[in-house]
Amino acid sequence: MSDSPILFVRTIAKRFGGTVVLEDMNLTVERGSIHALVGESGAGKSTLTKVLAGIVRPDSGVIEFDGKTVTIDSPNAARKLGIGMVLQQPVLFAERSVLANLFVNREPVHNGLISRREMEARSRDLLRQLGLDVDVHTPLRDLGPGERQLVAIARALLENPRLLILDDPNSALDGRQSERLFAALRGLKAKGMSMLYASNRLDEALGIADQMTVMRNGRDVLSKARQDLTTSEEAMIGQLRQSLFPLPLRALPTLAGTLRPQIAVEGLSGGILSGVSFTARAGEILGLAGSGAPDLLALLFGLRKPRQGKVRFSDGDGLPGTQTEAARRNICMISGDRGNGLMADKSIAFNMANVVVGARNWGSLWYSPKAALRRATRQIEALRIRSTPEMPAGALSAGGQQKVVIAKWLEIGPQVMLLDEPARGIDIGSKQEIYALIRQMAASGCIVLLHSRELSELTGLCDRILAFHQGRLAGEIAGDDMDVGKVLKLIISGKPADERHQSSRESAA
Amino acid sequence: MTKTDTAPPLAGSANHQPRRRIRLPAETGAVVALAVLVAVLGWLSPSFLEPANLLSVLSQAALPGLLAIGMVFVLATREIDVSAGAVFHLAATFTALLMVAGMDPWLAALAGVTAGAGLGLINGLLVIALRLPALLVTLGTWWMIQGLSLVAGKGQTFAPTGAGSGFFTTLSGKAFTVVPAAGIVFVVLTMAMHVVLHRTRFGYRVQAVGSNPLAATYAGIPTGKVKVLTLVLMGAVAGLAGVIHLGSQGAIAPGDGGTFALLAIAAAIIGGTSLSGGSGSVIGAAIGMLVLQAIQSAMTLHGVDAIWTAFTTGALVVLALAIDRLIRLWRDWRAGHGDPLG
Repeated sequence: MSDSPILFVRTIAKRFGGTVVLEDMNLTVERGSIHALVGESGAGKSTLTKVLAGIVRPDSGVIEFDGKTVTIDSPNAARKLGIGMVLQQPVLFAERSVLANLFVNREPVHNGLISRREMEARSRDLLRQLGLDVDVHTPLRDLGPGERQLVAIARALLENPRLLILDDPNSALDGRQSERLFAALRGLKAKGMSMLYASNRLDEALGIADQMTVMRNGRDVLSKARQDLTTSEEAMIGQLRQSLFPLPLRALPTLAGTLRPQIAVEGLSGGILSGVSFTARAGEILGLAGSGAPDLLALLFGLRKPRQGKVRFSDGDGLPGTQTEAARRNICMISGDRGNGLMADKSIAFNMANVVVGARNWGSLWYSPKAALRRATRQIEALRIRSTPEMPAGALSAGGQQKVVIAKWLEIGPQVMLLDEPARGIDIGSKQEIYALIRQMAASGCIVLLHSRELSELTGLCDRILAFHQGRLAGEIAGDDMDVGKVLKLIISGKPADERHQSSRESAA
Repeated sequence: MTKTDTAPPLAGSANHQPRRRIRLPAETGAVVALAVLVAVLGWLSPSFLEPANLLSVLSQAALPGLLAIGMVFVLATREIDVSAGAVFHLAATFTALLMVAGMDPWLAALAGVTAGAGLGLINGLLVIALRLPALLVTLGTWWMIQGLSLVAGKGQTFAPTGAGSGFFTTLSGKAFTVVPAAGIVFVVLTMAMHVVLHRTRFGYRVQAVGSNPLAATYAGIPTGKVKVLTLVLMGAVAGLAGVIHLGSQGAIAPGDGGTFALLAIAAAIIGGTSLSGGSGSVIGAAIGMLVLQAIQSAMTLHGVDAIWTAFTTGALVVLALAIDRLIRLWRDWRAGHGDPLG
């Protein structure tokens, strides 16, 4: 066979509404190699992989697969070409068995009946290779997220694709599982399979890739073989993310002894959270990492009921009983989950009235569209949202939508901000603006709790980070100790990287 | 290249769009449908356009129309209440029973409306306590309430005595000798509730909860309370309709109001209220009900057998849904926005 690349992507562009997601994107994947595609979330990685899998149609550009120009207009077309795909959030059938999920729409048939025996035989070796040791007849919902991810990968591999595309497959896996996955991927490479591996973790990509392409704002900014990468280039890639975060503003002096409003949490349990104690002070951004952090935010916002423990907010009261009470006490919750914050079919003005009109029970009993428009116009200007108040909020870009969600809370002057991945899946520009806004809120005396799965976001933005392991507080990292590796170590193993942190953990507990 | 200016070159286009787009109010479809219908029916048989006939259409539309007003609120919260027809019946029977027991008719009427609201409250509390969609809860309570009113009315037409009292003469009477009392209540309440839905905090919350219940929860909107209140409102207007029915007819028969709940839903849909919640138009629903009744009236005028009514009502609902869907598809296609970033 020829040595020509298996995949050649030239000047692909794609926009959704007013948002440009891909712009002049180029990519070349060599045969029998692992090509890493790295970039911040929102850079366009997922969209590019979806274009290649036939889920999203590009507006323009050329795709050559195996030397021929192809149009991939459906997932079936991609499958026929031999492109296998593992999505970031795999679409699986939770109620059905592992086996049924592996052979969706391709069940081997004997005499008109689905042959379970053949399915078992065909999947056994593959599952062992991936290190997935589960009963193939258990329904998928009983599996952990990591195991489910492996099922999705196995499903793609069963088709014997010539090019396997993995979109951040590692995010749900724990350390051992991801090592297994990497070993399996290397094995597949040895057999001649080509792979495109999209990830937002640079170290991970450097660990497995032969070539890598760095993506930013829908373009390829750097494309090189792994061994040609100079240290300065590695550093540059690392720096791309550093510039995202604004420098801390120090409006409030961190004087010991001054009384600052704070949240004191003592032995709080609820959800998977158990026995968590800490304090969060006004003027700082407290990062939360690991499993249990979303539950903590839900508890503090009154979405969940605590099993035990005491909490004292800055206004002197305990946990809010309902989310309405929380909103009325100026405790705000901003979630990056799509759909948690936005009424997409309603106008921006309507959305901005969510808290002021919707949650509060004081003030006028009337809803004035004029006042809503004024409010929206003011916030649109302040947050630089590129639209007009009458437009439906759903027509905004993801970043704009998230700004609307934040703006509606700014209207009430929040005392406590609970942020659950507030910048997930949005473009870098909006990210920067939102980070700057969070900084500003903290500096103006707000208590900010920030949870994120993207640890670099925490280390870049927070003053302190609390790491949770299986619902327990595993440790606290502050100051110069903050780096992704240390936080990761804490949330995966529950133990600090070295003895020095042991003391800080005890003082926190 | 590492500059982080993110203004996409095409972002400016978003600013031009709103000026070009003319937003038609949600009622447009229903108004056009009614106007065309009246014109066509008047052209087919001029007797349709006689004031007496038009007013009789209004009075026929009034009672199910009251239910449609409440239904718009329920639909706007993304719920549905199928028990409203039964509430209508039980409230009327209850009022009649109180009158027989010797209560002042006006007080009994008030008690009837309160009973309707109470039944709505039960529906609402069940929805909250069981965490079930109102459709399922009201499917159950519909049968229960219907059963109760049959038991209370002993399965027979129930006519309270004292038909000479002011209550009955007022409700069966006509203002300016032509406009039926029920029609006046219907029109006034339609206007008032339209303002409530679009200009009050309660109406705002109703729309917010229906538009995205999760986002409403995250914004601190008391979603449970809002749902309960809409169902109470639904019960209250159904009760009011029942009381007015009793007052204008002087009696309540076992089959009365049996189709009202579905008729109200149909009218709301024709009037531009979406079943997926978030928005609704009270005026639209009222017009939708007028459309339904005008067709029925025209069919009687033209000697079409009344047994065709059910079929035409259903066909209209399907037509309204299809048109709504097509308009929406067309809008999406024009806006050209897909699912950003998936």
